[in-house]
Amino acid sequence: MLRPAGAWAHRAAGATSPRTGWLRSFVRRQQLGAASGAVILLMALVALLAPLVAPHDPLETSFLLMLRPPSPEFPLGTDAFGRDVLSRIIYGSRTALLVGFSTSFVGSSLGTVIGVASAHFGGKTDLLAQRVMDIFLSFPLIILAIAVVAVLGTGVLNVIVAITVPIVPRVARVVRSSALAVREMPYVEAARALGASHRRIILRHMLPNVMAPSLIMLTAYLGQAILLEASLSFLGLGVAEPVPAWGLMLRGAGTQFIERAPWLAIAPGLAISSTVIAFNLLGDSVRDALDPKLRVA
Amino acid sequence: MRRYIVQRILLTIPTLLGVATIIFVLMRVVPGDIVLLRYAGEGAFVTQETIVQERARLGLDQPLWRQFADWIWGAAQLDFGTSMWTGRPIVSEVALRFELSLQLAVMAVIIAALVAVPLGVLSAIKAGTSVDYLIRVFSILGLALPSFWVGIVLILLLLSVFHWSPPVTFTPLRVDLGENLSQLIWPALVVGYRYSAVATRMTRSAMLEVLREDYIRTARSKGLKESVVMVRHALRNALLPVITVFGLEFAFLLGGLVVTEQVFNLNGIGKLTVEAVVRRDYTMVQALVLLMASVFVLVNFLVDMAYAWLDPRIRFR
Amino acid sequence: MSLGSNGKSTRIWSGATAALLAFGLTALGACAQPAPAPAPAAPPTAAAEQPRAGGQLTFIVGAEPPSFDGHRETTFAMLHPTAPHYSLLLKFDQNKYPAIMGDLAETWSVSQDGLTYTFKLRDGIKFHDGAALTAADVKATYDRIVAPPQGVVSSRQASYAAVLEKVEAPDPKTVVFKLKQPSAALLSNLASPWNFIYKAQALAQEARFPEKNILGTGPFRFGEYVPGSHWTGTKNPDYFQKGRPYLDGFRAVFIREASAQVAAVRGGRAQIEFRGFTPPQREDLVKALGKDITVQESPWVCVLVVSMNTEKKPFNDPKFRRALTLALDRWEGSKALSQIAFVKEVGAVMRPGSPFAMPEQELTKLAGFGKDAAAAKAEARRLIQEAGVPEGFSFALTNRDIPMPYEPVAVFLIDQWGKVGLKVSQAVRESSPYLQDLRGGNYEAALDFNCDFMDEPDLQLIKFLPKEKSPINYGRYSDPVLDDLYTKQSLETNPERRKQLVWQFERRALDEMAYQFPTLWWQRIIPHSSQVRGWRITPSHYLNQDLTDVWLAEK
Repeated sequence: MLRPAGAWAHRAAGATSPRTGWLRSFVRRQQLGAASGAVILLMALVALLAPLVAPHDPLETSFLLMLRPPSPEFPLGTDAFGRDVLSRIIYGSRTALLVGFSTSFVGSSLGTVIGVASAHFGGKTDLLAQRVMDIFLSFPLIILAIAVVAVLGTGVLNVIVAITVPIVPRVARVVRSSALAVREMPYVEAARALGASHRRIILRHMLPNVMAPSLIMLTAYLGQAILLEASLSFLGLGVAEPVPAWGLMLRGAGTQFIERAPWLAIAPGLAISSTVIAFNLLGDSVRDALDPKLRVA
Repeated sequence: MRRYIVQRILLTIPTLLGVATIIFVLMRVVPGDIVLLRYAGEGAFVTQETIVQERARLGLDQPLWRQFADWIWGAAQLDFGTSMWTGRPIVSEVALRFELSLQLAVMAVIIAALVAVPLGVLSAIKAGTSVDYLIRVFSILGLALPSFWVGIVLILLLLSVFHWSPPVTFTPLRVDLGENLSQLIWPALVVGYRYSAVATRMTRSAMLEVLREDYIRTARSKGLKESVVMVRHALRNALLPVITVFGLEFAFLLGGLVVTEQVFNLNGIGKLTVEAVVRRDYTMVQALVLLMASVFVLVNFLVDMAYAWLDPRIRFR
Repeated sequence: MSLGSNGKSTRIWSGATAALLAFGLTALGACAQPAPAPAPAAPPTAAAEQPRAGGQLTFIVGAEPPSFDGHRETTFAMLHPTAPHYSLLLKFDQNKYPAIMGDLAETWSVSQDGLTYTFKLRDGIKFHDGAALTAADVKATYDRIVAPPQGVVSSRQASYAAVLEKVEAPDPKTVVFKLKQPSAALLSNLASPWNFIYKAQALAQEARFPEKNILGTGPFRFGEYVPGSHWTGTKNPDYFQKGRPYLDGFRAVFIREASAQVAAVRGGRAQIEFRGFTPPQREDLVKALGKDITVQESPWVCVLVVSMNTEKKPFNDPKFRRALTLALDRWEGSKALSQIAFVKEVGAVMRPGSPFAMPEQELTKLAGFGKDAAAAKAEARRLIQEAGVPEGFSFALTNRDIPMPYEPVAVFLIDQWGKVGLKVSQAVRESSPYLQDLRGGNYEAALDFNCDFMDEPDLQLIKFLPKEKSPINYGRYSDPVLDDLYTKQSLETNPERRKQLVWQFERRALDEMAYQFPTLWWQRIIPHSSQVRGWRITPSHYLNQDLTDVWLAEK
C-alpha cells in the first residue's frame, strides 16, 4: 500500500541552493505541476470554507430523501440516510487533506531527522538506527493499523498515527543515503574539522542539503496516505460514521448500493482519484524541479 | 564477497529478533482477549470461571517472560506451536495459504514487469511527446484508484457482461491450470496494474537519467546500433532502481493484499493475518509476522545480490 | 420513493410452498398418482413437485468454525458446516416453527408433575463408523452438556444445569430426563441445534474428541475440510430416515466479504447463504437473475439493544435513560432502515409475532414505542432537562466494527438523539476490545446485541437480569423485581399466565426503569437459487441446517 521510493535511495542529492523567484520559475517550467498545485490549493480552500460552500448539513439525515439520484437540490444525489452527497464530499475533503498532510509531513520530518542523524553519527549509532528501521520496514502495515485502532479506537487521529508510522522508516532510509553523500562533502568536513557542534553541523550543513529528497518523499506520500485511508476505511479501520470521509463513503457504496445508486460510488471515487492524481503530478514536478539531473528538455 | 554475505546473514538475526519482540509486546498491549471473543462474541451465556479456565488452558495465565521465552525457543527450532483459535498446527494452516499468496505475488510481479518495463522505456525515449503523456496518464491512474474499488467493479463487470464470476475456492496450479488461472488472473491483473504504475514511473525516470550519462553518448558515438545501446547499456543500468522497488514490493505483496483478498475471496496470507489479529490469536499472529519479516529480509538480500550482478561498480566491502 | 411502501421487496414463497406440498404428498404415499389440478392459491411451479434425488448443494458460510464441537462453540459458522453430520434428540419443525418434532426420538411423554420426561429412540440409528446409537450415547451427550468434564467447555450449561437433575438410560432405546423443578422451556431446549448427540465411547476415550473429529448419525458423512476454503459432506447411505437425504452431498464455501457472497450467488458459484443478505443485495440479485432466484424472508430472533452504563452519570438517572428511548421514532425508522439494512420489526424484549410477544396495542404504551413521535420527542427533551443534562450534551456510543446492521442502526440513533439536543459520536471498536469494554463497564452507552436460536422468554430475558445472574447484561444494575419476575415466568407452565409475567418484566425493564432498550428487530432475508427446494426459512439462522429434506430441482 505504501510505496517506498527506492529509486532515490541510490542517488546522492545534488546540493541545491535556494533560488529567488522559485515560484515563478516553477510555474513556468512545470505547468502540469503548477496546475495540480492550483487544484490542491482550491481543495484546501473548499475544505477550510466547508460550512460556507456546502449546500446542506453533511450529517443531516432524512428518511424522506433516501437514495435520491442527482437533482438541482442535491447535485450529487443523497445517500442511504438521505444525506447530501455533495456536502459530505466537501466536508470529507477536510478528513482527506488532514490525513494526507499530517501523515506525510510528520512522517517525512521524523524520517529526515532520523536519517540525517544516523548518517552524521555513523558507526554504532547508524548501525542501531538502521536495524530499528529495518524492523519497522519488515513489519506488516495492516497489523500496525489494527493495533492502533484497537488501542485508540477509530477516528481521524488514529488513522493518522497508523499511516505515519510506516512512512518514517521509508523516508529515513532514503534520506540517510543522501546524507551519507553530503557528509563527505568538503564543507561539512571542514566544519567538522573546525570543531562545530553536532547540532550545528546537522542543522546548518546537512539538513538543508537533504531537503530535496525529503520534499520529494513528502509529496509522494501525500497521495498515498489518502488512498491508504480509503483502504483502512474499507476494512473498518478508518474513520467512523457519521463523520464524512471519502473512504467510508466508498465502502458503503461499493458493497451495498453499487447497482442501485451508482452516484454514491462515483462521487467519492472521483474525489479520491483526482486528489491522488493532483498530488502525484505535483510530486513529479517538485522532483523534476529539485533534481536538475532529471529535468526534461 | 563471501564475508559480505555472511555479515548480511548475521545482521538479519537482530532484525528478526527485534520483530519478534515487538509483535509479542504489541499483541499483549493491544486490548482484547481471544477467550472472551470466542465465548461472548455471539452473546452466549458463559461464566467468568469458564473464561479463566480457558485462558489457563491456552497458557495465557503464565508470566509474560515465560510465554516469550517458550515462544522464542520454539521459533528458533522452527516449532511455531498451534493456533490458539483453531488448535491446529500453525505450520499447516500457513502452508495452505502460502501457496496461493506466493502464486498471486509472482503473477502480479510478472504482469507488472511485462507492462512497466516496455512502457517505461518507451515513455523515456519519447519523453515530452503525446505517447509519453498517454503512458503517464495510464500509470498515474493505476496509482489513484483504490484497489478494492477496482476489484469490486471488475467482478461486477464480469457478472453483468459475461454472467460469470470467478471460482470461490482455490485450486492449486498443479491440479488444474485452467481453474486455477480463472480464479487468480483477476486479482493478479488488479494488483499487477497498480504495481506496474509504480514501476513504469520508476523505469521512466531511471531511463531518462541513464540516457544522459556519458557512456551512452560514448556508445552511440562508437556507432553501435540504437537498439543495442538501449538494451545493453541503458536499460541494464536503468533497471537497478526498478529492481529495488520490485523487491520491496514483492515482500509486501505476500502479506499485504488484505483488501484484494477480501474482495476476491482469496484464501491467502493477508486474510489469515487480519483474522488472526482480530481474534487475538497470539501464536498465529507472531508466526505470520515472523514469516513476513523473514521474506522481507530475504528479498532485500536478493535485491542487493542482483545489484552486484547488474552493476559491476558496486563492490562489497 | 414513497415512505412505507415496501412494494419493491419481492417475496416469493414458491420454493418453500412447493417443498411443503411435495413433502405432504410423499408422506401420504400419493406421489405415484398424477396430482389433481393445482389448488388456486398455490403458485404454478408448486404443482405436485416430487423431490429429486441427487446433486450437490453449495452454500456460503460467512466465517469459519473455530472447532467442530457444538457444545462448546457459539457461532453459526460452526453450525452450518457441521449440522448435516449430526442428529439431535428433538428438532424444530421447519414447516411449523416453533413446533417441535422428533429427530432421534420417535415418541416422548411427560409425567403428571412435569418432572420426568421419557423418550423412545428410533430403530436402526447408526453412527458413521457403523456402531449403533443407544440411549447411553444420548445420556453421555447430555452429561457432557450439563456437567462438562475438566478441560471441556459447555457454552449453554446454564440453560440445563438449573433445571436438570439427571439423565438416565434404563434400556438401549429409552432416555429419561429427571428435573429438579418444572420447566416451560425444557422440550425446546432439548431441540437446541447445538446439542449434537455424540458417541459415548469416543467421549469416554477423549472428552475433547468432537473438537477436531466428526462422528455423528446425521444425513451426511464428513468429506474434507480445507481451512479458509471449503468443507464437504457426502450422503450417508445408512441414515435412519429412509429415502433421505435427497442430496448426494454438500459443499460449504467460506466467503467473508458480503459483496463477494452476493457475486458468488449471482455467478452461480453457490446456491444459497443461510445467514441473510440485505435488502439492496436482495434486489440486485432479483433484478439480475429474475425467476432463477427465490427469496425467503422471516423475522429474526436477533435485535440490537442500547445498553447504558448505569454506574455513570447521567446514565444512572432513569429519567435520562427514558429520554433516550423516547427520542427514537421506531416506526418511521423501521420504514427507512428496512430498505437499507436487515432490520425491520418494532418490538420489545420478545420478538414481535412470537408466541410471548406483546400485542401492538400494549407495545405502543411503552416509552419510545408510541406512534406520536413528536410528543415523545418533546417529552424526551423535558426529561433531559429534568435530569439536569444541558442542551448539546455529548457522549460516545460504543459500537462493534461489524457494519451490517450495527452501522446503519448507529447512524439512526445518533440522528434521533441529535433531534432532542444530544451530541453523540460513534466509537467503533473491534469485536474483542468491544466485549472487553462492555464487560468491564468501560463505556457510556453501547449498541449491544441479543440473538438466540428460538423465541423463549428464558433466553431473551437473560439480557436484562441483574448482573450477578447474567454475564451478558452490561448495564451494571441490580433489580430484585426483575429477578423475581424472571423466576416466576420460568416456572409458570400455563402459557397465558406466563405471557402476563413476561409483559410485566418488559414494562419494568423498558418503560419504568428504561435500563436497556431494543432498537429494531432483525429481518432475515435469504435470496437463493430457485433450484434449492425443501428448505424453509425459520426465525433463526442457527436452526434447520441438517439439510435432510433439501433437494435440487433441475435447472
